[in-house]
Amino acid sequence: MSATFDVKARRSALETKRIVSSAVGWGLCGLAFLLVAVPLLDLVLTITIKGASAFSISLFTTSSNGVTGGLLAAIVGTAVLSLGSLVFAVPIGVGAGMYLSEYGQNRLGSVIRFLSDTLTGMPSIVLGYFSYITMVIGLGWQFSALAGAITLAIMVVPYLARITELSLQRVPVQMREAAYALGAQERTVAFKVVLAAGAPGVITGVLLGLAISVGETAPLIYTAGWSNYLWNGKLTNQPIGYLTYVIWTFINQPYKSAHALAFAAALLVMLVVLAINIGVRVVLRPRT
Amino acid sequence: MKRQAKRLNLFRLTLTSIAIVIPVSLIIIVVFLGQYAWQAIGFNGIRFLGTIDWSLGNLYMNPVVTRGYQVPIGADYGILAFIVGTLFSSLLALLFALPVAVGTAIFLSEAAPDRVRPVLSMLVELVAVVPSVVFGLWGIYVLAPLISHYIGPGITAVLGFIPFFNMNNSTGSGFGLLAAGTVLALMITPIIATTLYDALRQVPLDLRESAVALGATRFEVVTKIMMPTVRITLIGGVVLGLGRALGETMAVLMVSGGALNYLPKTIFTPISTMAAFILSQLDSALQDPTNMAVKSLAEIALVLFVITLGVNAVARMIVRGATFVRNI
Amino acid sequence: MRSVTKLRRSTLLRAAAAAALIAGLGMGVAQAAGVTLVETGSTLLYPLFNIWVPHFEAIYPGVKITTQGTGSGAGIAQAISGVVQVGASDAYMSDQQVKQNPDILNIPLAISAQAINYNLPGMNNKHLKLSGPVLADIYTGKIGMWNDPAIEALNPGLKLPDHKIIPVHRTDGSGDTFIFSQYLDFSTPAWASTVGYGTTVSWPAVQGGLGAQGNPGMVEALKQNPYAIAYIGVSFHKEVSEAHLGQAMLLNKAGKYVLPTPRTISAAADELVGKTPADERISLIFAPGAMSYPIINYEYAIVNTKQRDAATAKAVKDLLTWASNTGNKPVYLKQVEFMALPPAIKKLSAAQIAKIGG
Repeated sequence: MSATFDVKARRSALETKRIVSSAVGWGLCGLAFLLVAVPLLDLVLTITIKGASAFSISLFTTSSNGVTGGLLAAIVGTAVLSLGSLVFAVPIGVGAGMYLSEYGQNRLGSVIRFLSDTLTGMPSIVLGYFSYITMVIGLGWQFSALAGAITLAIMVVPYLARITELSLQRVPVQMREAAYALGAQERTVAFKVVLAAGAPGVITGVLLGLAISVGETAPLIYTAGWSNYLWNGKLTNQPIGYLTYVIWTFINQPYKSAHALAFAAALLVMLVVLAINIGVRVVLRPRT
Repeated sequence: MKRQAKRLNLFRLTLTSIAIVIPVSLIIIVVFLGQYAWQAIGFNGIRFLGTIDWSLGNLYMNPVVTRGYQVPIGADYGILAFIVGTLFSSLLALLFALPVAVGTAIFLSEAAPDRVRPVLSMLVELVAVVPSVVFGLWGIYVLAPLISHYIGPGITAVLGFIPFFNMNNSTGSGFGLLAAGTVLALMITPIIATTLYDALRQVPLDLRESAVALGATRFEVVTKIMMPTVRITLIGGVVLGLGRALGETMAVLMVSGGALNYLPKTIFTPISTMAAFILSQLDSALQDPTNMAVKSLAEIALVLFVITLGVNAVARMIVRGATFVRNI
Repeated sequence: MRSVTKLRRSTLLRAAAAAALIAGLGMGVAQAAGVTLVETGSTLLYPLFNIWVPHFEAIYPGVKITTQGTGSGAGIAQAISGVVQVGASDAYMSDQQVKQNPDILNIPLAISAQAINYNLPGMNNKHLKLSGPVLADIYTGKIGMWNDPAIEALNPGLKLPDHKIIPVHRTDGSGDTFIFSQYLDFSTPAWASTVGYGTTVSWPAVQGGLGAQGNPGMVEALKQNPYAIAYIGVSFHKEVSEAHLGQAMLLNKAGKYVLPTPRTISAAADELVGKTPADERISLIFAPGAMSYPIINYEYAIVNTKQRDAATAKAVKDLLTWASNTGNKPVYLKQVEFMALPPAIKKLSAAQIAKIGG
């Protein structure tokens, strides 16, 4: 009798210990999650409150004059630079992704894949430095929309290529086989079957690429330059403003108006980036 | 038939040549950097990596020939302080990020209720997409004052007997190693956490079931059964995060304090990282009429590239098949 | 059949898109009728340029000027590389730079000065007395505490705090660094033989010493960090005093402590401007005379005599001529505590401006 009781008591002591340590473990995991979530919420909240209080109609209708005024020129510039980067990045990125997915199961494919991932890992300031020496000075483009957009494109292309590859690979082989069986040409299969079926993934990639471009600063400082004025349509020899420049420069100015503009710009950039990211996750999420 | 074969080849050829643009541009960039830095590599030699003093020399006196190269008097380019700043801040970031990321991943995958899990995991993913300049802004406005007024004195009170953790050994501004490490930790935690989260979700159900059948608590299932199976993925995620931290520019530049010519003696001391230094010094370096300063910056870019290349290559070797871009 | 029409349609679509793109580019070129100039560089001159530009543009409606405070180093470098039309700098170019780039001019636009500011809680209303040698010791780390005997010796009767000094220096290539290090160089042999002067100097290692970007960054660094000290151009005097930061009296060559005021700046200028050579590159630092403030300088526009076209050249000439004459009126300069150029200097500048061509 007593022996059985003892075993039971020991067991339950051990069990208690295990249960307690499990509970502590879960608690720590929850705490860890909070350590990620709370700073994000604080960041979003701080920037939303500070930024929203600087919002006004004139913020969107006038351009900055030194450290006061609005953000029109910067908003337009960010749009020009990031959409401009897509002009270069989409054909190359999607094309490369198609190659990797459809024909890249060979040595060349894996070399391209490795170097593409290496390019993704290249620090953005190194790209900016490269573009400054080659395009801005070497080709004489000066600070310009073209130099900025191409630099952003170099960053976005490898992302886009790999996301395209991944989404096209998900298209079932049977679809390709069926199309070929119907006598379709390779090119028709690639565009009309594979790319069409993988389109949601590719569009996701393009949108994420856009989000990356909108949020970048370091590669633009020495390529796009900065301008107080609305972009006048010139691709070279004309600097162009952008929102992230406002954030990084104006927060260092000892003026309230400059700080307000920096937070307003941060809020705009954050809204665009978060909206794109939440959008693609909610609408285009292929994961089940 | 023949015509079709020809067109087909043309199509493939076009796609191939487009795909080749990516490696070619990478090679152009690297070759350009190497060629541009060549003179600096010759002038600096191994001292480049081993000395602390970065000096453009006297730009207002006529350049002299030193070690066979035309450079300003007193020019000396040592980047040890920036290498140390880069490694310290990144390692500090890893030190913070690793436990937090593991905890977060376990929480998301095992503890979060199914209904809110997608929302919570998205929240973590979103941390990774916040632009780094916005992190920098938050660092200047929120984090640095927090460190200066609360965290710093707190750490000093608890660990102050170790000189490295004593704020009184530094000057006590919030900008420095700790601020840089914290911001970087925030940026890489989601990378590690989501990699691990995905792996945990893929652990086969029967593995868990057999552990539960043996009487393990759920937490024990996670720590003793599941974690060992995803170890490799975790290491891969860590190395990917490290790669990101090493190359980060804006956020670090904004909170690191911009130290020059000294190694940090405390966790509160200002630092500079290689990426941030390139950005902040390019203008100054362009002033050097001999161009040696700009070329030495190119050499920093090269060193940074080699380090990140190494880290990314290691990551890829560990996580075979996984890709840098997260599969959304 | 259907696939053919589809194909044709997509080709058509593509052609239309290409046409639209080309049309867009063409329009862009057509729109760019006026001249746009980019001014970059000195953050000390930046507030004045921001005041100047709207007035200048009102008179010359065809010209648009973008201003950027990036540091004098950037101003010089980017004017030389041709990336910008007007570089702003508190420092003149070095002999070597002039030799390599004989087409680049240094044209004074105004006379400026630099203050030594600090954030000493409770004591910012008092003007500390500081000298070149003491500042040199602070920036080399030999003096680490505010209550160091060397500082107390200059300020008898002041109870200085027992706290570490945070010396703040510029991280960008800076004309303020140039004139500050020149003051230390001219007044302190030990500094001259080790650090010297320049727009970028190799700052001696001081644990905890902070780097800041631009004059605005210096003001922010002082605001955020009690017990910090920094060198800040007088064009930020308003911001400095609004933040209730302290301003030091500096020891001049004659052994007197002076604050940067219109009187002391003019006194120093009077001593040295007469020696200005035709290319106008001259240091005005550490001037003799009992009333002279020791850190004053010309604010330069760094411009290439060869501009990309005649219209740009004319715009640059108009801007510089306007700035060094109309722009020198007290209504503009008072706002940034600058002094007007003496007539003799305006004449030298006009001669240099005349060299600019298309």
